[in-house]
Amino acid sequence: MSRRCLKRSLFLIMCLSLGLTLVPYGVSNAADKPISIGGSLPLTGKFAETAKWIEKGMKFWAEEINAKSGLLGRKVVFKIYDDQSNAGKAVTFAEKAITVDKVDLLFGGYPGTAARAVMPVAEKHKFVYVSMGGHMKSFQQGYTYSFGGPPLMGEWWYEGFYQWLKSLPAYQRPKRAAVYTMNNPIGTSLMDSINRMSEDLGIELVINEKYNLPLPDATPFIVKAKQMNCDLLFSNGFFADGVMTIRAAKALNYNPKAIVQGVGSIIPAWVKELGEDGNYVFSGTVLHYKLAYPGNDKLNAYVKEKYNLPGYPLYFGFGYAWMQTLSQGVEGANSLNQTKIRDWLKSNTVQTIAGPLIFDEKGLPEPVNFCTQVIDGKVELTYPKKVRTTKPVYPKPAWK
Amino acid sequence: MVTPDSKSRRLVFWVLVLFIALAVFPWLGIPVYFVSLLFTVFLYVILATSWNIIGGFAGYLSFGHVAFFGIGAYTTAMMINGFDLSPLLTIVSSIPAGVVSALIAVIVGYPCLKLRGPYFAVITLCFAFVVDLGVKNLDILGGPEGLWLKSMDLPIDIIRAIFFEVMMLIMIFSIALGIWTSNSKFGAGLRAIKEDEEVAQTIAINAPKLKIEAFALSAFFPGMAGGVYAYYLTYIHTDIVFDMMISILIVLMALFGGGGTWLGPVIGAVVLTLINEGLSTFVRAEFARIVYGCLFIGVIIFMPNGIIEFFKRAKGVPPG
Amino acid sequence: MNTVLVVRSLISGIMMGSVYALLGVGFSLTWGVMKVINISHATFGLLGAFIAYTLLHAWSLDPILSLALSAPLLFFLACLIYRFIIVPITKAKEVIVASMIVTFGIAIILENVMLLIWSPDPRLLTTSYTSKVLILGPLYFQYPRLAGFLMSLAGVLVIHFFLKKTYMGKAVRAAWQQPDAAQLYGVNLQRISMITFGLAISSAGAGGVAMAFLYAFEPHTHNLWLIYLFLVVIVGGVGNVLGTALAGLIIGVITGLSFAFLPYQWVNLLTFGLLMVILVFRPQGLFQSEV
Repeated sequence: MSRRCLKRSLFLIMCLSLGLTLVPYGVSNAADKPISIGGSLPLTGKFAETAKWIEKGMKFWAEEINAKSGLLGRKVVFKIYDDQSNAGKAVTFAEKAITVDKVDLLFGGYPGTAARAVMPVAEKHKFVYVSMGGHMKSFQQGYTYSFGGPPLMGEWWYEGFYQWLKSLPAYQRPKRAAVYTMNNPIGTSLMDSINRMSEDLGIELVINEKYNLPLPDATPFIVKAKQMNCDLLFSNGFFADGVMTIRAAKALNYNPKAIVQGVGSIIPAWVKELGEDGNYVFSGTVLHYKLAYPGNDKLNAYVKEKYNLPGYPLYFGFGYAWMQTLSQGVEGANSLNQTKIRDWLKSNTVQTIAGPLIFDEKGLPEPVNFCTQVIDGKVELTYPKKVRTTKPVYPKPAWK
Repeated sequence: MVTPDSKSRRLVFWVLVLFIALAVFPWLGIPVYFVSLLFTVFLYVILATSWNIIGGFAGYLSFGHVAFFGIGAYTTAMMINGFDLSPLLTIVSSIPAGVVSALIAVIVGYPCLKLRGPYFAVITLCFAFVVDLGVKNLDILGGPEGLWLKSMDLPIDIIRAIFFEVMMLIMIFSIALGIWTSNSKFGAGLRAIKEDEEVAQTIAINAPKLKIEAFALSAFFPGMAGGVYAYYLTYIHTDIVFDMMISILIVLMALFGGGGTWLGPVIGAVVLTLINEGLSTFVRAEFARIVYGCLFIGVIIFMPNGIIEFFKRAKGVPPG
Repeated sequence: MNTVLVVRSLISGIMMGSVYALLGVGFSLTWGVMKVINISHATFGLLGAFIAYTLLHAWSLDPILSLALSAPLLFFLACLIYRFIIVPITKAKEVIVASMIVTFGIAIILENVMLLIWSPDPRLLTTSYTSKVLILGPLYFQYPRLAGFLMSLAGVLVIHFFLKKTYMGKAVRAAWQQPDAAQLYGVNLQRISMITFGLAISSAGAGGVAMAFLYAFEPHTHNLWLIYLFLVVIVGGVGNVLGTALAGLIIGVITGLSFAFLPYQWVNLLTFGLLMVILVFRPQGLFQSEV
């Protein structure tokens, strides 16, 4: 008897949950209502780590603006969906935010593949979409509502590093590079600056290979680089493969003049988990907690207090900066009309923690890039000189 | 055996009403999201129902079915970019995508279907990886960058409505195929293979031929669906259309509803897609996923043979 | 010169493959004995790795020693899961199918519980010997890999001898080869199954630690591990402990050798492609299945 009861209730629960998903909730847009900002982030699954930092950065921005007078005199609220690291879901949730929740603004997504899929949707719905973008190719598709404010642009990533190399006397520069690149959009976009600028400096790409993730073993990389006498190592990868490469380099006592790592070394886990072995790795960035632009101190103080970190993580800053760009667009246009916001952003300068941004017709600012190096467990800015926080350590000291 | 008595005639009537209601749904000015959501539901119904032909009826658990979905997506994308086709021809251009998928299924199925049980599961899994990595490594197919497709020069709700109708049409055909299979000699042959392949051989069932036919059929509709999905997304990447999790989800949906029946996969796909979507509005994403996980455990403990079997038994229909 | 390269790649491959093998052995056992395909097997391995990580940082306990703590814990957890989740589904018409769905649910729950406890940050097991190397002439052995290899060797041998030599182990084998006859001889199937499941999950914990010596891990990493252990188990023959170990080695060696002679881009593809070819020519797996 009770068993049947249980079964029935189970069935009931299922029907209920089905019904719930189909209930459209109407949202009216009265002037005193808060401004709603919607979209999705991969809060669970493969990309959760980065997404959580972006979310924290966005929320900090909201906290701050709500403590003041709000946006256009109204408070802001977020409606954040979890797309489970699935780009298809990111598209549906963007549409849900726009058409069901009738949000006033759309926030930018992560990672690049999801941004690439959402950008055309934002364009079709005529919603301003400020995000990291999906590297250069995604900004060449003719979208007018998408902005990289600031973008995470693989194509620009090593620009700072190469400019710094150029500032060195020629005899000090490395001559032979080993380049290992993960076979995905970030990897291939990182190759861009390497291909463009190596020849200029007389650096020969002795090894230039791609690999597919997951990387089973990095020792062959190092063995080969050592054999070919490469004095510059590019490891264009994420965290897991980047760490393996560094560890293999240490194990085999491979000491090139410089090790450059793609995007693994800029996340807080790099220094936390690798410890001393993570030191002296070069990388690039478009945003850094030690930049002198207004706002950075505030973020650092908040992160110090709340998470006990020396400076805000890159993606925390991104989440915050994208909202800065978007909100200045709204305030500049003095309206929530998406086309007006877009037009204002295209013709005015935006002040962000990444510096002033002026967007071109593709929605991109001027290429910005800084060279970074991990020194004493901190990601330091090493080039250009005007933003430099410390002198680069070069050549890299031998492994202990 | 279905006899055309008044009861089944009434059933046909209601099903028709349902489909007509669904067909006009996107034109009623409903928020685009719901159109897209149902589009996704249709997609998973197609994938689960098609998988069911080989996995549910014949008992050959293919863990690489996402390969056919992805192949369809890439075929369409290459075609639309290569021949400059008008995206309005979605349905027409997704047919070749299905054909290519089915052809590849025949080629791959010939050696692979000699394997049984877990070995077949693993070889299909490997196949999906080989295709995924192959596409990643070939620059003519977009390689690691993926492919962009032109989107239609129409308002978004019209675009979504068109995709909705096309996907629904494919879904109706794939369900029809499922119903036909469950009532035909073809399906009976597949069931005999699932029961005992050796015995099936002795009662004059040409098992190898039947299996290849089933495999090709089960690859055809996912290929078409992949083609439409590529248009819908306008950007495809191997990480999106060859996502291993889709493969696993297809299998689970079909079995969750009840494999080997035509209705089971439909129920499984609809229920799981909608509940997953509904849970995404939860405050903490982790808790939503935990509830989702509990659902799998709860349902199977109470309905160990899938939802459909449970209801059959509750209605007093003997299982089987 | 080239022989050195070949030997080096072989060693590196063997060390990698042995770790997959340890992770896979338990999966093979539950499948063989209980007809349960445990999708959450690798998730428990990951749990073992996270526990080892926490103990390492809290008490600087060596990851291998931490198994003394985590293995009983996992064993206990497995018994609970067996009693309350696996037993009810043994009534299903197709236990394999039902078990896959249920354990998929367990994997999702566990992944997200780990996400709540440990956050999504990637982790590394860094011990005092992490970057030490043993150099023998032209050959080199990285200590963490060596540790993983030795752990796997020990783990696989222990399970092998348990099954072949002990009374309990013989009962387990009897239970899966001839369940009816075994019951006649007074073998308590339920208890045997529970112990097998517990052992399998504990060995997964050990496998997880061995994997963590080699790779970085995050709460979602188990999806990746699952695929590798699925390959290893089936190529090795379901239920065949030594077969699983050998399959792990073969997969490792294929990867290692292709790294030496192919553009790196094609390594993963070749591994899966070769596995397909192997399976086509040996449709029942490389080694006899013991089911």
